[in-house]
Amino acid sequence: MPSLKFKTQNVKLKPKTQSFLRKTFNFKFQLYALRLQLYTFCALSLVILISGCGGGGGSSGQPKATITAWHWMTDRDSIFNELAERYEEKTGVAVKFELYAPSDSYTQKVRAAAQAGTLPDIYGLLAEKRDFASFIIAGHVANLNPEMEADSSVWKNEFFSRAIAVNEFLPDNEFKVEPGIYGVPLDVMNIQMLYNKDLLKEAGIKKPPKTWEEFLAAGAKLKERGIQGLVSGWGEVWMIDCFASNYAFNIMGEDKVMQTIKGEITYTDPDWVSVFALFKEMADNGLLYNGIVTMVNKTAEQLFANNKAAFAFNGSWCVNVYAGMNPNLNYGAMFPPSHGIYPLKIWGGAGSSLLVNNRSLVKNEAIEFLKWLSSPEQQAYLADATKNLPANKNCLAKISPILSEFSAAMEETTHPNIWPVHEFPQVIEAFDKGIQAIIIGEKTAQQVAEDVQKIKERELAKKNKS
Amino acid sequence: MKDGLKYIFKKRAELIVIYVFLGVVALTCLFPLLWMFGSSLKTQATVFSDPSLIPARPEWRNYYLAWTKGEFGIYFLNSVFYTAIVVFGIIIVSSLAAYGFSRLKFPGNNFLFAMFLAAMMIPLPGSFVPLYVLVNNIRKVLLNTLSAVSPQLAHIMPAGFVQQSNGFILNQVFPRSAYVFCMINVGLSLSIYILKTFFDKMPKELEDAARIDGCSKLGIWRHVALPLAKPAIAVITIFNSLNVWNEYILAQLILSSKETMPLQRGLIVFQGMHVTDYPLLMAGMTMTAIPIIIIYLIFQKYIIKGITAGALVG
Repeated sequence: MPSLKFKTQNVKLKPKTQSFLRKTFNFKFQLYALRLQLYTFCALSLVILISGCGGGGGSSGQPKATITAWHWMTDRDSIFNELAERYEEKTGVAVKFELYAPSDSYTQKVRAAAQAGTLPDIYGLLAEKRDFASFIIAGHVANLNPEMEADSSVWKNEFFSRAIAVNEFLPDNEFKVEPGIYGVPLDVMNIQMLYNKDLLKEAGIKKPPKTWEEFLAAGAKLKERGIQGLVSGWGEVWMIDCFASNYAFNIMGEDKVMQTIKGEITYTDPDWVSVFALFKEMADNGLLYNGIVTMVNKTAEQLFANNKAAFAFNGSWCVNVYAGMNPNLNYGAMFPPSHGIYPLKIWGGAGSSLLVNNRSLVKNEAIEFLKWLSSPEQQAYLADATKNLPANKNCLAKISPILSEFSAAMEETTHPNIWPVHEFPQVIEAFDKGIQAIIIGEKTAQQVAEDVQKIKERELAKKNKS
Repeated sequence: MKDGLKYIFKKRAELIVIYVFLGVVALTCLFPLLWMFGSSLKTQATVFSDPSLIPARPEWRNYYLAWTKGEFGIYFLNSVFYTAIVVFGIIIVSSLAAYGFSRLKFPGNNFLFAMFLAAMMIPLPGSFVPLYVLVNNIRKVLLNTLSAVSPQLAHIMPAGFVQQSNGFILNQVFPRSAYVFCMINVGLSLSIYILKTFFDKMPKELEDAARIDGCSKLGIWRHVALPLAKPAIAVITIFNSLNVWNEYILAQLILSSKETMPLQRGLIVFQGMHVTDYPLLMAGMTMTAIPIIIIYLIFQKYIIKGITAGALVG
């Protein structure tokens, strides 16, 4: 490396000064060499980048129109691109899918683009309904009602009602949005029970239980054979809430559940105590996997995928997860065994939806593309490739049996987000933690019911005060 | 004699405690890296079931799959390009600015420096929307300019070439430059602060000697201040290299085409909405971490030198 020379274009330092500096600091001056290396590197990089990316626009035939679509679904990106190619071949309209993930940074991008007025022709919105409404009011989302309801609502009727509900704004909605459907659902999801066919067979259980009694009896048989029963991520308390909510609807009916949330019925009501008692029954009959109350869902999925438990309580996404963990897993989906006289409702709803930019220059082409994308053929292809439940109910015959089993229950779904009233978060927390306490034998069903009611009354009093 | 032995024993005991403590700390730092490397050699089925750190049958193929599936080739080159240009830009601009703040007395000097320090307090996500809007507005101006100039250029050059050049400028040169400038902007505050502190301690006599010899202000910065600040520059280089190398959110906001994205874009391919391909993700992360570890190893002696030589500057 060359040593330091204090020299500019016209000025030369005296040798004495140079020597003083050298002696004092004894450093090597490497900037010349560094600069040379950097210039070479930059030039090389530019050449490579230009040669690698400069092609562009080499296609011989110009598309009729080009639609740009933004999404965050990493596992669907290649399938979307494949479908886009097929669509271009068929119609001459090019669709350019751009993936921005993870979802947090995708949301940032969409919000920034909305402010700058540069949203693409098609995009997804990962937001609460309130934010969805503000996008519509700002003119960023096209109302698809005319297309959805054309020809006796043929397009709309292809979807599960729950999938449409999440994209729909009804007349006199609280957000003051013009009534209509503002998004095209691509997939749906719900949370059910899974059973391991091999383990049930080993325990001598011929068919999956349909009633609570059959479920408890299955638990006894499994215990005899030393097989663990139900596994689920009940360390993530929302899953407990989900399971309990299914049976609350089943034991007391939807109206009574809503009345409880409104504060008209107490949690000490015998029906609610029965709901809490179900967990005690499961624990006493050895139906629950050891350590279920502290288990995260990822662990629960791993255990079920590795044939360590006979039943699982999990969402439809598990089809994807189990395929990755154990492609040979022999399992099926079942509706949770019924206990009461009212219909049992499971949690479910729309998965992902795509919206059309109201200011898009190719708005009609974008709507046509989404019509094509949501048609049974494309939906079946998407479901098959990505293992998600399709939003189109007319393609169930074309998808795998496990997805079909999950999808079949879509009309039996509900979700707290669509309920007219919502429970206090403090009450939900006490409710879920109380159930955990029942499972580990710390509290009885009656004690938990009383604890939850106390908190409910406290929160109601606070609300009335304010 | 007895006291001497006692002293040696005490010293050794102290050393043992210190080394055990440092060993534990080093292990906690190394373990995540080892786990990442070990997981990169497992399969999706064994990544959670095989407790061994390094599997008995390592799946070296994961590295090939991660490289091809994640399309790391172009992303890798992009990341190297962005990191080199941004770090170089930050060193030049921040050293000039820091030298100016340290040596030039002008009205509002302190206020301006305080403003730079205040910029450090703004978290990056807070500036996303303004940055995006700014970049987008500049793009619009560029687009209008190119549209206005293109017909004239088409008279003297082939129309196809003009069109392709415009596309190249708008889709490649502009987004890359915008990202580079934004990232330089992001890294400036801290770098200016570090360098100004360094220059403040630098003896003025050195500059006087250079000035007597006829050096201009820029010449002093170039020939005296900059070489002396090598330890500080090493710190800035590592800090900013790490920052640019791992940055993805701003890249995603500004860059739209896949061909211009940095290395982090390759990693998201393995993170599905419900399923994560851990072995490939870990293989990708290992490959991503290697260059930055190399940069650290190259510059670490300067950092240590910087810490020890810091007092000597004054």
